[in-house]
Amino acid sequence: MQHMTAAPGLDRELKKGSAELLILSLVEDQPRHGYDLSKLIETRSGGRLTFRVASLYPLLYRLEKRGWIQGRWIEKAGQRRRRYYRLTTAGAKVLEAQRHTWREFVDAISRITGVEHA
Amino acid sequence: MPEWPRRINEEMRQHLDDEYAALRARGVSHDDAMRTLAGDVEAAASLRPRPVDSLTADVRYALRGLGQRPGFTAVVMLTLALGIGATTAVFTVVDAVMLRPYSYADMDRIVALAETTRAGQTMSIAWQNFQDWRAQSGVFDALGLYRPMVVNLTGGAQPERLVASLASADVFRALGIPPIAGRAFSRDEDGVAAARVALVSERFWRSHFNASADAVGASLTLNGEPYTIVGVLPEGMRFPSRLTDVWLPLGLFVPTFPADRGAHPGLFAIAKVKAGISIEHATAEMDTIARRLEQQYPLSNSEHTVAVVPYYEQIVQNIRPALLMLMGAVAFVLLIGCANLANLMLAKAEGRQRELAIREALGATRWRLFQQLLTESVLMALGGGLLGVLVAWWGVKAFVASGPSTVPRLDLVAVDLRVLTFALLVSLGTGIAFGLAPALRASAVELAAAMRDAAGSRATAERLRSLLVVGEVALAIVLLTGAGLALRSFAALTAIDLGFDPSRVVTLRVALPNARYPELPRWIAFHRELAARAAAIPGVEAAGLNSAVPLESGGAESEVRYEGQPLPKSVHEDATMCLFQAVTPEYFRAMHIALVRGRGFGAHDTADAPRVVVIEQSLADKFFGAAANPLGKRIAFEYSGGHGPMAQPIWREIVGVVGHVHHYGIADEPDNMQVYAPLEQLPIYFRERRPNMTLFARTALPPESLVESVRGVVSALDADVPVFSVQPMAAYVGQATEQPRLNMTLLMLFAALALALASLGIYGVLSYIVGRRTHEIGIRLALGATRADVLRLVVGQGMTLAVGGIAIGIAAAWGLTQLLRGLLFGVSPHDPATFAAIAALLASVAFVASYLPARRATHVDPVCTLRAE
Repeated sequence: MQHMTAAPGLDRELKKGSAELLILSLVEDQPRHGYDLSKLIETRSGGRLTFRVASLYPLLYRLEKRGWIQGRWIEKAGQRRRRYYRLTTAGAKVLEAQRHTWREFVDAISRITGVEHA
Repeated sequence: MPEWPRRINEEMRQHLDDEYAALRARGVSHDDAMRTLAGDVEAAASLRPRPVDSLTADVRYALRGLGQRPGFTAVVMLTLALGIGATTAVFTVVDAVMLRPYSYADMDRIVALAETTRAGQTMSIAWQNFQDWRAQSGVFDALGLYRPMVVNLTGGAQPERLVASLASADVFRALGIPPIAGRAFSRDEDGVAAARVALVSERFWRSHFNASADAVGASLTLNGEPYTIVGVLPEGMRFPSRLTDVWLPLGLFVPTFPADRGAHPGLFAIAKVKAGISIEHATAEMDTIARRLEQQYPLSNSEHTVAVVPYYEQIVQNIRPALLMLMGAVAFVLLIGCANLANLMLAKAEGRQRELAIREALGATRWRLFQQLLTESVLMALGGGLLGVLVAWWGVKAFVASGPSTVPRLDLVAVDLRVLTFALLVSLGTGIAFGLAPALRASAVELAAAMRDAAGSRATAERLRSLLVVGEVALAIVLLTGAGLALRSFAALTAIDLGFDPSRVVTLRVALPNARYPELPRWIAFHRELAARAAAIPGVEAAGLNSAVPLESGGAESEVRYEGQPLPKSVHEDATMCLFQAVTPEYFRAMHIALVRGRGFGAHDTADAPRVVVIEQSLADKFFGAAANPLGKRIAFEYSGGHGPMAQPIWREIVGVVGHVHHYGIADEPDNMQVYAPLEQLPIYFRERRPNMTLFARTALPPESLVESVRGVVSALDADVPVFSVQPMAAYVGQATEQPRLNMTLLMLFAALALALASLGIYGVLSYIVGRRTHEIGIRLALGATRADVLRLVVGQGMTLAVGGIAIGIAAAWGLTQLLRGLLFGVSPHDPATFAAIAALLASVAFVASYLPARRATHVDPVCTLRAE
């Protein structure tokens, strides 16, 4: 569903799994709002990964429904309210499992293709 | 999934907003930013969640939006508060005076009757005529006769003066008001054998009897005579006046009515027309009776007929034109306010097009957007209405406190549930009026147009906004012209020479009880002594008494003839009528009435001396010609032996000629002639009906400072004589100019409001246009246009709007001021000076309102604007 411009060849499951992983890891240290998340993904990937509005927010909604993240409206003086998301305990477990899977997956790919990662 | 669509929509909207702001911050132009975001918007649109349909959501959304724009919200609410407040305040008066039901049964069948000449001059009813009316008419259920009067109540701690009326039994039947205790008068009490009974008002019953049931049967001493209370009338009985506290039976006074059919002793009639009979029919029948009486009694009844006026009409006819005019004026103010707000909302809506486009993309239908925008303006209107009610409450309080005597039912004027309902409806209407056009436009915005090319839609908006301003200016012109005419009219009114100098004169009226002063010499001596003692008060320059009070109208009138005047050739020939007054010698000096010829009265003009008279200039001119000397000639205004061939004129020698004194009012002074007789040579009419004399004391000091010492003189003479109407003569002038002054003040107030709003409108639109054209102006400047060129360009645009509005406004005012004709005095409704002055005033205000944004335009830095490209 999400659109990753820099990796058009990845299959659907992979894309989906990676997007979830990205979001869960970004809210691990501190709660963040949607715009912040999309900007972080864009800058940290050097502009190679961007999220469309129409995919990011429904994804956040689904993650919250599953109980992996929890959103809360926060109003700061002089600003409109924003919804900040933080990682839940259940989410932390999922993140741990996904990181593990992802590392194994990348490892496997590397062995096959002979690409060493730094 | 209750939170799904709204929450996500909000987040997505914010995201797009943030993205837009970030793009703009990087120097991307609006159009490019919109183009970049278009893909996201379309993708978001593809989600199409269920629209949320709920008023509460709209209200919450609108409230949040208004809270984020406190300045805008404050301006809107303030404009609305003033507009709705003024409208509600005027409505409060209109409602109390004209709309609220009366407590009389079948008000539409109640009519007031008076005698009138066929030329339309109203007078009171001759007692003999009334009896014939009652005997011959068949159209009334009840035909009652009354005469307002004032009585002295004694026996309490202090003598009191009460507003009273004598009334026949049919007065109460005509009004359909039964007493709340005891009984009303019976038909027997219309006859001379009536007992000394009285009805009292509920107010009097409470204040004097503590609302006790014992009041019925109790005794009152009125004018020195004992009366037994037989009934108490309810609060709704406000006839003949809302101040009436005592009603006395007609029969007791029948012996005092003149035996002469030509005398009109202050009697008037009130009647209830039979069900199913029209007022026209009743009028026609009364006219037939009048014609019959005219044939029967040509000397007294010639050219007389009967005026039959619906009672409601009689109450409201004087105030209605002013009220309607004021209602129109506030409606204009409100309309101008609406135009301003519509303008403001249009500007706002344009700024929000992106937000609206995103919302629409997210699945909101046009109808939803329209609803939401309208909710916002209606909410603001309701808030403004709430403030407006406060404004109205305060305004009405101030109005009632000023106690305008020309407003009937003033005591009922108050902000109540009816008024609140009105304010609510006006607020809703207003919210829809100023929110509709912007909401329609904004919600009909094409997604593509908003995203890509907004130039066309902006041009339409600019046209719409310009049209609104032209309309505002036109409305303001109409109001200002009305106010200008009222001002000129008032100036003309106050510039009139009244024939006397009201400044520094204190007046006081004394009601000598007949029972204490039955003999004429004692009655005259009291007043002679009063004048002398008042003149001796330190600071008093002159003091005199008169049986009449200038500007107060009323008084005794009669036909006046000069010696040797040919007898009338026919009964239809116009008689010369005069108002005769009895004065003490110093009256003319005390009032600074100009003595044109001869002398005033002196101490030697006693009852035994030859009868003398002072007449006014115009009567001398009419009788003897302007060139002739009237002194020494004789006139008569009274006749012994009644009307008819047997009447013997009572001749008086003219010893002086004075200027005309306004007696009936300031503006509508009929050309009735006035004659003055010395109090010592009291006219016979006054011997039978002693007038309440008024003292006029001229002082070098402020008149108010004299009030106590003048009162003291009366109580030193006789402590039981009630004193009333103690006031400076200037107060009578104030009362006579009260309604025009009120009209002028309120119209000026509303016009000033209109002017302020209209100039704000011009300023707002030009600021907006300048803001949008910054770029264009920058290019012009870069291409060599001077700042003066830019100034001309913007001011010229503002003045084009103003001139258009002024032209339309003047055309509209030309037609509408026609309706003010009846309220104007001494100025034509098409007074060119007023029209020119108002056009010039608005043009200069418009100039200033255009100049300010224009000056800002000249400060545009061409380099900056070009770099932004």
